[in-house]
Amino acid sequence: MAVNLTELSLPQLEGLKGQLEQEIEFLTSSIGQLKIAQTKYVEAKESLSVLNKENAGKELLVPLTSSMYVPGALSDVEHVLVDVGTGYYVEKNVEETKEFFKRKIDFLTKQIEKIQPALQEKHAMKQAVLEVMNMKIQQLHSQQTSQAGTAKA
Amino acid sequence: MAEAIQKKLQAELEKYQQMQKDVSKSMSARHKLETQLTENTIVKDELDLLDSENTVYKLIGPVLVKQDLDEAKATVAKRLEYINGEIQRYETLLKEMERKLDQHREVLSSLQQEYQRAQGRPVGKV
Repeated sequence: MAVNLTELSLPQLEGLKGQLEQEIEFLTSSIGQLKIAQTKYVEAKESLSVLNKENAGKELLVPLTSSMYVPGALSDVEHVLVDVGTGYYVEKNVEETKEFFKRKIDFLTKQIEKIQPALQEKHAMKQAVLEVMNMKIQQLHSQQTSQAGTAKA
Repeated sequence: MAEAIQKKLQAELEKYQQMQKDVSKSMSARHKLETQLTENTIVKDELDLLDSENTVYKLIGPVLVKQDLDEAKATVAKRLEYINGEIQRYETLLKEMERKLDQHREVLSSLQQEYQRAQGRPVGKV
């Protein structure tokens, strides 16, 4: 975009500022959502550590609803069922599942890293627009005061 | 004279707005398809990493049904093919719509000028 900001009028700058603010908001919320998804994967990965040989056969309480639990026993510490998307679930062993979560976390990190520069760029552009707007407003002010001065004199 | 043109202008304007609505509808449909494409590509990548040791289940309603890995792969591949086809279709559709919209804009502006002339107003003073 090769537009000289100083050539734009104040309302145009105002519009541009609004547009940039919208874009910034969108990108920020995107990053926020990605981070939430990432946290979920990190938590899931960490909870895998409970599935080790030491805990095999131990008793546990299974939540049937959020307020009712039934006793159960941990019969399988090697396999878990993973939701891979669009209704598909895959049975994997713990190691494979850890790798699966690592892949997901890395993928999300990459996506966030892709958005971050764009966000910074938008921030910088907004800053530039604000500066030009301030400059214009000051120019307008000094013009008015000098006009008032000459009118008096 | 002026009234007839005004009526025509009104009708054309309504048509134009309808077209704009259609365009934005198609846009959001394409957007949805793109989301589905990403989702299915991710699933495909995951399925490609599996071997016969892994059991695949498909969620159908509230039940998990065991499914053959190759079958699952084929389904996802077919879905991807379909989605890509749909995106292509929307792409051409949108291009065609944009072209029509441009044409319509020209018709509108000439009608507007005609209307102003008929009203005896100087052109370009609105």
